[in-house]
Amino acid sequence: MENPVYISLSRMVALQRQMDVVANNVANATSTGFKREHVMFSEYLQRPSMGERVSMVRDRATTRDMSPGPMSATSNPLDLAIRGKGYFVVDTLNGPHYTRAGRFQLDPKGQIVDNNGLPVLGTDMKPITLQNGANEVRIQGDGSVFTNLDPKTPVGKINVVTFDKEQQMSEVGSGLFLTDEKPQPAPKDTRLAQGVIEESNVQPVVEMTNMMNVLRQYQGIEKIIDSEHKSQQNMIQKLGRQA
Amino acid sequence: MRSLAIGATGMQAQQLNVEVISNNIANSATNGFKAQRAEFQDLLYQNMRRIGSTSSDAGTIVPSGVQIGAGVRTASVYRIMSQGNLTVTENQLDIAVNGNGFFQIQLPTGETAYTRDGSFSLNPQGQIVTSNGYLLNPAITVPPNSQSITVSATGQVQAKIAGTVTPATVGQVTLAAFPNDAGLEATGDNLFLETPASGTAVTGNPGVQGFGSIVQGSLETSNVNVVQEITNLITAQRAYEMNSKVIKTTDEMMQTVGQMQ
Repeated sequence: MENPVYISLSRMVALQRQMDVVANNVANATSTGFKREHVMFSEYLQRPSMGERVSMVRDRATTRDMSPGPMSATSNPLDLAIRGKGYFVVDTLNGPHYTRAGRFQLDPKGQIVDNNGLPVLGTDMKPITLQNGANEVRIQGDGSVFTNLDPKTPVGKINVVTFDKEQQMSEVGSGLFLTDEKPQPAPKDTRLAQGVIEESNVQPVVEMTNMMNVLRQYQGIEKIIDSEHKSQQNMIQKLGRQA
Repeated sequence: MRSLAIGATGMQAQQLNVEVISNNIANSATNGFKAQRAEFQDLLYQNMRRIGSTSSDAGTIVPSGVQIGAGVRTASVYRIMSQGNLTVTENQLDIAVNGNGFFQIQLPTGETAYTRDGSFSLNPQGQIVTSNGYLLNPAITVPPNSQSITVSATGQVQAKIAGTVTPATVGQVTLAAFPNDAGLEATGDNLFLETPASGTAVTGNPGVQGFGSIVQGSLETSNVNVVQEITNLITAQRAYEMNSKVIKTTDEMMQTVGQMQ
């Protein structure tokens, strides 16, 4: 008897989660390298008794839209964008993490570090350190880093890696991703662009329509619960009167 | 509901974005000013259903879990160190750097500050100083009886002294360059200070490799592109509105719950 209410409630809870995901997308509409997320729902089948089927809904997963974000030129020598598939590797105390946000800087040791001061690793899995006194940095499409002191030999090569199962990477915030999968070198057509950053791939129009959709569905379900409540009330009143 | 707090972080971030943009627009006519940009990052995530957890006895794993983000935070406000436009002023002590490098300024505290603002003048002792009266480093003194001052593209300062034919060399302007200009710390008055993020200053003469050349009689204006700032302002304002819409929608959803019988 209570099933209609429970089914509706499962949808309401799922919609609340969806609203959280939409809100996070909107909040990160201007975050460098952010990838928008959407919620995947699935049917949750219950057989309370013979011949009866009840389908609840549950949010099975949040998936990431891995399409590239728009590129915006900053003309900062240490701003890098990845054209094509791939991630930068940064070193943390908990092992390497991966990111698409290429807003890099230098630390006191002359190492290339990300926004949080984590060293950006080269293909040898070591931080890239610029020579003392270098005042111009040039980074080629393949990730080789040159300075004005020695325009022939690179001081290092920025590591760009890919993964087979990108959706299995988990987010840890600050634009960083984590995965147990072994990284593979990026495909040949992945190039780095210097002085450019990849913006968030959130499309505001899509998020706004999603949001309206969530709200209307939420209100619609409230109506279902409401009418279910009324019919139960009705039933109790009628049956009660006859008794 | 989380979306209420998430929307609030978004509004805060866009508010800061508008503040940065308004500072850029306010300084669009400041000599040697470099535009700033606010940089945002996603906050931490909460795992509702962990990625890679086992979903059955057969050992199948969850291909992608439910991760709910907690909003946005400001990662940094960085500076865009691109060249500003040069405007001709015909003032002989207005000098601009065309290319890489900063003028070095001796602060009263003894520290060295760096600037791209080359509107210099002379103090009563005949020394070249900034508009605040701080000395150019290395100090250059122009003899009191000089008629005109010439600064060459390589930074050599010559003064034509009354009664002589050949101009006398009175000093050399040197420039400082950094591995990461964007890491410099702005202190106001168009001055920057060296930080660990900028790397140590390398000094050299203008025109040599890695340094720009000197243009006399010109000033470098700010590199603020007003059109770009206005479009950024529009984007920021719309993003602000969208985040407020998120809060409003959440509010309506909560209201719906409140009306349930």
